[in-house]
Amino acid sequence: MAQSASSPDGRSSPIANTNSSPANGSVRLSGRRRRRSSATSPSPSPAAHLTPSSPRSAGATPLARGPPSSTPSSSRRQWRRRQPVTPSTPMSTDDNVPPSSEAGDDDAVDADDADSTPVFVWGTNISVQDVNAAILRFLRHFRDPRETSRGDGLLEDGKYMRAVHRIMELEGGESLDVDAHDVFDYDPDLYSKMVRYPLEVLAIFDIVLMDMVARIDPLFEKHIQTRIFNLKSSVCMRNLNPSDIEKMISVKGMIIRCSSIIPEVKEAIFRCLVCGHYSEPILVDRGRITEPTRCIRQECLATNSMTLVHNRCRFVDKQIVKLQETPDEIPEGGTPHTVSILMHDKLVDSGKPGDRVEVTGIYRAMSVRVGPAQRIVKSIFKTYIDCLHLKKTDKNRLHIDDAMDCDNNASTGRTVEDETPDYQDKVDKIKELSKLPDIYDRLTRSLAPNIWELDDVKRGLLCQLFGGNALKHATGASFRGDINILLVGDPGTSKSQLLQYMHKLSPRGIYTSGRGSSAVGLTAYVAKDPETGETVLESGALVLSDRGVCCIDEFDKMSENARSMLHEVMEQQTVSIAKAGIIASLNARTSVLACANPSESRYNPRLSVIDNIHLPPTLLSRFDLIYLILDKADEQTDRRLAKHIVALHFENPETIVQEFIDLPTLVAYISYAKKHIHPQISDEAAEDLTRRYVEMRRRGNTPGSRKKVVITATARQIESLIRLGEALARMRFSEWVEVRDVAEAFRLLEVALQQSATDHSTGTIDMDLIMTGISASERVRRENLVSAIRNLVMEKLKLGGPSTRLVDLLEELRKQSSMEVHLHDVRNALSTLMSEGTVVLHGDSVKRI
Amino acid sequence: MVGLPYDFLANPLGAVRLSFEKAVASLPADADMAAAFRGKDWGAVDLFRDFLFGNGGIDQVPVLDASTIKWVPHNTPIRFRGMVQDMLGNELYVGAFKDGSTWRTNKFTDVSYFAMPPGCETQLWDRHLLYCVPVPGQNSWTMEPSASPSSGIVSNSTSQHGEKRERDTQDDDMDLNVKEHSCQSSCLSDNLVNRGSGSELLNGDSSSISCLVKIYDMPENDLKLNDVFEFIGIYTFDPELAVHKDDSDDPMYDLLEDPMAHLPPSKVPRLHCLICRKLAIEDFLHNSPAIEPLPSIVRGIRESLLTHLTAILGNDGVAAQYLLLHLLSRVRARVDMISVGKLALNLIGFTRESASIFGCQLSEAIQRLLPFTHAIPLTIDYLNNTTLQPRKGNDTGRLVPGVLQLAHGTHLTIDETCMQSGNLNSKGVENARLLKHLLEYQKVEYEFEYYKLEMVADVQLLVLSEAKSNILPADLVLPFCPKSVVTTHPTGEELQAWRWYLATMKSLQYNTNPEMNQMLQDLMVAAMQEDRNMGCTDLNRWLTMGELMSASYGEKSLTLEHWQMIMEMERIRKERLKERAAAC
Repeated sequence: MAQSASSPDGRSSPIANTNSSPANGSVRLSGRRRRRSSATSPSPSPAAHLTPSSPRSAGATPLARGPPSSTPSSSRRQWRRRQPVTPSTPMSTDDNVPPSSEAGDDDAVDADDADSTPVFVWGTNISVQDVNAAILRFLRHFRDPRETSRGDGLLEDGKYMRAVHRIMELEGGESLDVDAHDVFDYDPDLYSKMVRYPLEVLAIFDIVLMDMVARIDPLFEKHIQTRIFNLKSSVCMRNLNPSDIEKMISVKGMIIRCSSIIPEVKEAIFRCLVCGHYSEPILVDRGRITEPTRCIRQECLATNSMTLVHNRCRFVDKQIVKLQETPDEIPEGGTPHTVSILMHDKLVDSGKPGDRVEVTGIYRAMSVRVGPAQRIVKSIFKTYIDCLHLKKTDKNRLHIDDAMDCDNNASTGRTVEDETPDYQDKVDKIKELSKLPDIYDRLTRSLAPNIWELDDVKRGLLCQLFGGNALKHATGASFRGDINILLVGDPGTSKSQLLQYMHKLSPRGIYTSGRGSSAVGLTAYVAKDPETGETVLESGALVLSDRGVCCIDEFDKMSENARSMLHEVMEQQTVSIAKAGIIASLNARTSVLACANPSESRYNPRLSVIDNIHLPPTLLSRFDLIYLILDKADEQTDRRLAKHIVALHFENPETIVQEFIDLPTLVAYISYAKKHIHPQISDEAAEDLTRRYVEMRRRGNTPGSRKKVVITATARQIESLIRLGEALARMRFSEWVEVRDVAEAFRLLEVALQQSATDHSTGTIDMDLIMTGISASERVRRENLVSAIRNLVMEKLKLGGPSTRLVDLLEELRKQSSMEVHLHDVRNALSTLMSEGTVVLHGDSVKRI
Repeated sequence: MVGLPYDFLANPLGAVRLSFEKAVASLPADADMAAAFRGKDWGAVDLFRDFLFGNGGIDQVPVLDASTIKWVPHNTPIRFRGMVQDMLGNELYVGAFKDGSTWRTNKFTDVSYFAMPPGCETQLWDRHLLYCVPVPGQNSWTMEPSASPSSGIVSNSTSQHGEKRERDTQDDDMDLNVKEHSCQSSCLSDNLVNRGSGSELLNGDSSSISCLVKIYDMPENDLKLNDVFEFIGIYTFDPELAVHKDDSDDPMYDLLEDPMAHLPPSKVPRLHCLICRKLAIEDFLHNSPAIEPLPSIVRGIRESLLTHLTAILGNDGVAAQYLLLHLLSRVRARVDMISVGKLALNLIGFTRESASIFGCQLSEAIQRLLPFTHAIPLTIDYLNNTTLQPRKGNDTGRLVPGVLQLAHGTHLTIDETCMQSGNLNSKGVENARLLKHLLEYQKVEYEFEYYKLEMVADVQLLVLSEAKSNILPADLVLPFCPKSVVTTHPTGEELQAWRWYLATMKSLQYNTNPEMNQMLQDLMVAAMQEDRNMGCTDLNRWLTMGELMSASYGEKSLTLEHWQMIMEMERIRKERLKERAAAC
């Protein structure tokens, strides 16, 4: 049993100073250290317990044996047993100090130090006493500058003293988290020693802590471990090199695999098979448990009779975790590096695969047996990190921050800034950017810098990326925050590029072509056009872009069926799928960015948007902004395009790049804004919004324009305006939607409407164009035509008389009125009359009834 | 000393050790070993460089392939050409140790030559591990004829300096090793076949093998995934290690298990790299004729190649013109999302019959012309079942190759003529998306389980289809109009000239000419004014074609003449497209 758990020797650390035999001068520490180094050895041995655990295991020994006596002296005796050969350490002097005399304790220690001969950590110039004193000073006197500034700091204990007290009160805590920044601030020398010789310094740290605890409450039995975190600098995983071995390091990465939990024997108890005598607990030493060869009982003394008693052994948990570099640390053309992390005890299962974490630990190496031949051993090493502290730095950091805050509020009375320095840097940079006065223009310029003009379109797209606030009322009514945009335009006006760019920018963008989208389908299908043989891929897209932007190219080519699904998506933000009799409603909180080509290949300005793209008005009205991108034959624009493309091909790419915000920053900016900024409408802005909206509505029925009512704005627009306003405020990282945002929102909406909803015959904006596809003026014209025909019919045709041909009717009409009349207009008018019951239309002949 | 001080061929490690001992001896007594030699060369590599390149020793170094692996003794220098398929991170090893009072080195070997005394003073150094495979799709004509055993290495001149000991026993082992090797290599080839999708990349020629390369003293950033390198280093393939199966029931080993466990030294040879260099396509042309890139000669070769391509394409001259430009294309720059210089070609109008005739002829011809080619028969089944995407297997720590893990400059023919309607599963959708992404942006997403990483690619894509492929929207869609079936049998010299031509012209650098740029702008503006349907993509394509056209004449800048040729080609293409549309 014991043998199977043991491991061959020679797997200890390759670093000489922890490996070779200690010098005489440092008896005590080397004794400790040797135990530590073996304990920290990653060998499979049960002893491979990490970090400051050896004192703990020793301290816990009495526990395993039964309740210890509860007198202070006994606890001190334990202590002495743990430190068997310590003639001249500060520890031993503590025995002479009454537990109660805490005041002036430092001095006592110092005085003792002065007396005793200095003890050095082997192979270094670190004096054990110095370190000991430094740690004690740090723990006792470190005060958080932030607390001190509050004024009450001087009266209370230091930060870590309070932490220690709290741990003792709670009885639950077993580790003291020590911020390495605090250590550095208090004592840079101690910090550098700690980083360079973590094994030794942490061992002393633990002893100091033990001692401190023992003096505060001699009955306190648990061992408190020190966990260091938040080192001054963290190493990139691929830069770990041999010089980091045995140093304290901190790396960031993503957990990709966790092993199952491995119980590891710390102390073994053997029983004699002959007489049933139980042995004393045997500690694991350097990964080995030495099985007693004979029973120690004088009466028995049987040889080879001892057997391991499993359920009386003490085990600790161990786990091995694989950490991989995060994508942002991988250089171009490289693959991520991986490192193994060894976790113990409480750290086990503290991270799951997929978590982004920052690990503070000791980088270690162990030799690999390449072959059975001895000469091969030790040539190659495997490396791993002994984990001291693990901190999640996750994407859903909001959650974790909250949890941390609660913890730390309760514990140390202040919130720990969990944000890693470089994350904070990034945020600072982004925030600085947001303060620029021209941030709006700058963002606009940075969006698809390769596409010119279309600045207002880009502004609209920016609003879409930032989005408004989604609201959910207690009543269950919800308002979407997503802004939907439709681009209609001539071919070759880089609509597709805009879409592609948006797809790149949006965190969960999906790019699809209307030609092959079934919108909701979860299956994909390769279809082949039976006539031309062209192949297309049909796939569902909307569900996949939940909380993103769904870019649909060739929207007009989308099947009727798929488009009808969009109604639901764009207003309810869900998609219903019927499969096998079950109707499932899936979330599709997506902004839709669609682009459509005019049905007659070029946009006909004389026709309405609806006629141009053949989209149902019901769908069209759900777009917040509809942009017409018309290709004006502008030589200037062409020239700029030509120049750009030539530059693209013949010039150094670096020279083309200008002061745009680069793509990653832009993405970060947008996602930060979406996550952290939730603007509200200020009263002023709300007032302005109402005023302008009413004004806009009123514009429709100006006194001059006869009696017809032109609807220039609908309730849908006011929702759009609010969303746009919120998005605009978000761009500035402002928590308030201000009047200027409202003004810009109105401007954007008007620009979009002017392009798409302008009635060309009157030159005014008419929402009916989008709502119904027919402008008010057109409606009036049609009404006029109907009445004209009605009159004509009444006049020319007799009731029940012979029928007249349509063409004749048209002739008559043309003679009568100045209006330009087309045959299909007449047909339309006649069908109205038919529904009135005035006439009957048979093919080409009209009959009055 | 007289003659060669070191025997680089038979005992390279001896040379390494001797030079190390010399270097140590020349150090001042108080110098720090770690600072002096870690991550640095002490002159050993220079010695090898002198020997290999200065004294022509390179010719005596065998190339590692399936035939040489049978007889090349281990711990001798070897050459290996391959693509970096995976990067396995760093490995720490005892670089130097103190044997008594002498420092010894373990550099360039896994196995210490001298026994390391327990508890000796050691220095830890690190090296990078790369897993290299033969370049996917490498055509057999690019392989160097492998050297025969008689070419000089085995002659075991035992003139090693001060290293006589143990040498004899090693010699005895040698025969044994050879036998071991032969059986090893047979299971190796089995192994290759079993690699599934990976095996079909080998173009049926499995005469080369993969190799674990250990790189010393080189920043890792100099080597990128999918780069093609030639490594010259010390070869180890130790059957002794193979015998040993890690029998320790030690859970730590399993848990700290690394990718190496899946690449046991018995299966995958090790190469301790002394010198490596990145290879370009030219490096794969052997005994290439020393052709002066004179304009007249280039023109001549261009004409003959064009004639050849025309014949292959059933006397369709226009298609041949386009194909030539396509074969010369490469990604020259990346600006934002645009890859400048790529020219994916979609030949349409294939029927089942014409695809079987011309498709085969075409891919065969391309195979003969370009060093790395690969063909994908695109069907529903293929999309649904093939692994195109390279994926990191986090269980094994290895990058599992996908079909799309290709070296830069690879030519990929996608035959869509057999595509039928049908359902795609999620893998199929992903594969279709990957192909499209590669075609449009020249990037391949690698799957890393928790995230995806985009790797840049430079792959020439040729799509053959019945009608325009919307799954793979190429830059150019050209209706293919064969007139007759012609068979051609180019001579060896012709082939060599063409290969040289394609490789050289492809790598030409372009010069910019402000006047020409201005003129181009004017021409483009005029074209846009004339046809309002012209867009960014069209202009982009024209410029790319223009550059390729000038390159096809071996010229470095675009001229008006070339531009007009392009315009004429485009005019014919448009007409053909119109005819086709009308016919439908």
